[in-house]
Amino acid sequence: MGVCFIEPKNAGSLRDELNADPELKIAARYMTKDVCIEAGSTKCIVKFRDGVVTQIKSENAFADPWDFAIRGSVDSWEKFLQRIPPRFYDGILGGMIRGNFRLEGDTIGAFTHFWAVTRMLDIFREQQNK
Amino acid sequence: MVKVDPVVGKYIHLTVQGIEYRVFYEESGQGIPMICMHSGGGDGMEWRALLNDPEIISKYHLIAPNLPYHGKSLPPESVEWWKQEYRLTRNFFIEFNLALSQALGLERPVYIGCYVGGHMALDLALEYPDDFRAVIAVGVAQRRGPATLDTFYHPSVSNHYRMVNGMYFSAPTNPQEYRREVSWCSMQCAAPTTKGDLYYYFVDHDLSGKTQLIDTMSCAVYMLTGDYDPTTTVEASLELAAQIKGSKFTEMKGMSHAGMAENPPVFKKYLMPILNEIAEKSKSN
Repeated sequence: MGVCFIEPKNAGSLRDELNADPELKIAARYMTKDVCIEAGSTKCIVKFRDGVVTQIKSENAFADPWDFAIRGSVDSWEKFLQRIPPRFYDGILGGMIRGNFRLEGDTIGAFTHFWAVTRMLDIFREQQNK
Repeated sequence: MVKVDPVVGKYIHLTVQGIEYRVFYEESGQGIPMICMHSGGGDGMEWRALLNDPEIISKYHLIAPNLPYHGKSLPPESVEWWKQEYRLTRNFFIEFNLALSQALGLERPVYIGCYVGGHMALDLALEYPDDFRAVIAVGVAQRRGPATLDTFYHPSVSNHYRMVNGMYFSAPTNPQEYRREVSWCSMQCAAPTTKGDLYYYFVDHDLSGKTQLIDTMSCAVYMLTGDYDPTTTVEASLELAAQIKGSKFTEMKGMSHAGMAENPPVFKKYLMPILNEIAEKSKSN
């Protein structure tokens, strides 16, 4: 099944989808953060600058800095990305409460921009199921 | 033709723990009185679908208050509330419901509440079974345990956090318009109020060692929990129900944390058998 946002070949199209989304345009206004999303031993970094996604970096990202990270196993992300996710994998907040995902780093920064973060993940889900 | 809801909003002045509060409530319908208590960080608008449901309001007189500090129930004039941290305590919450019921002349009302309001249902059944004919607790557990509440009221955390809480504590199977409405409602509550409500939810509510004292012969106890709810799992509610002799638990499929608002038609499907049972019992008493 795979996890769409980890695949380097998807980076450009996902970035364009994020930047074209009308809700994310509003939700991410004023957001300048580097968001690390980790699936098992792989990760990508989504770079927001003033609300615009400038890059999704999944190749050679091991040494890149980030502000906050959302971490889960590949299995957790595969469940999360299902069109109708199973319970406790449908939202990142609920998933964290149930121990399926972890938020690390600048958690206050993450919560400040939580609408943008969750909308971004919803767009990944939409793209995964296209 | 102009469409007008059957819902009427009013203010009533209640004195609770020696302080007068100007309390807003909405009401509709006629018949068995039922107090509809909102969730933590919410207000009475969460119940709008029930308040407008012709079948329900033909049998029930619904009263949906806003707790003080919520919605149109402003902080009290006589208190320098800005010098103290808002906290919803168990005792205040109990006394508020008793004062409301008494002031409105409600005769052994039914009490239904969601989450913070839902936990209160069981505290009322435990402490005042003679004052309520039945309670319906949406999304309850015996106790909550530790939680970090600071993110709910932090100068660096935006209103987006509460918005997401509303949105993603509703099940993904439910209609987008309802999920977004839950989210919108969550954003209306003042940050200190959301945090303060959760004091009762996470700390002050604790039925440990008391569940066997709840007398369901005096006050019937019903529980509803959504299978998608990450905060109160079906398993936690089942564990609680097993400890309260005579209580009735129903799992709501495809529902999460805000049943009556996240998908009112589905919520009604689970609620109506309970309301019909209470109505039947009320006829025979």
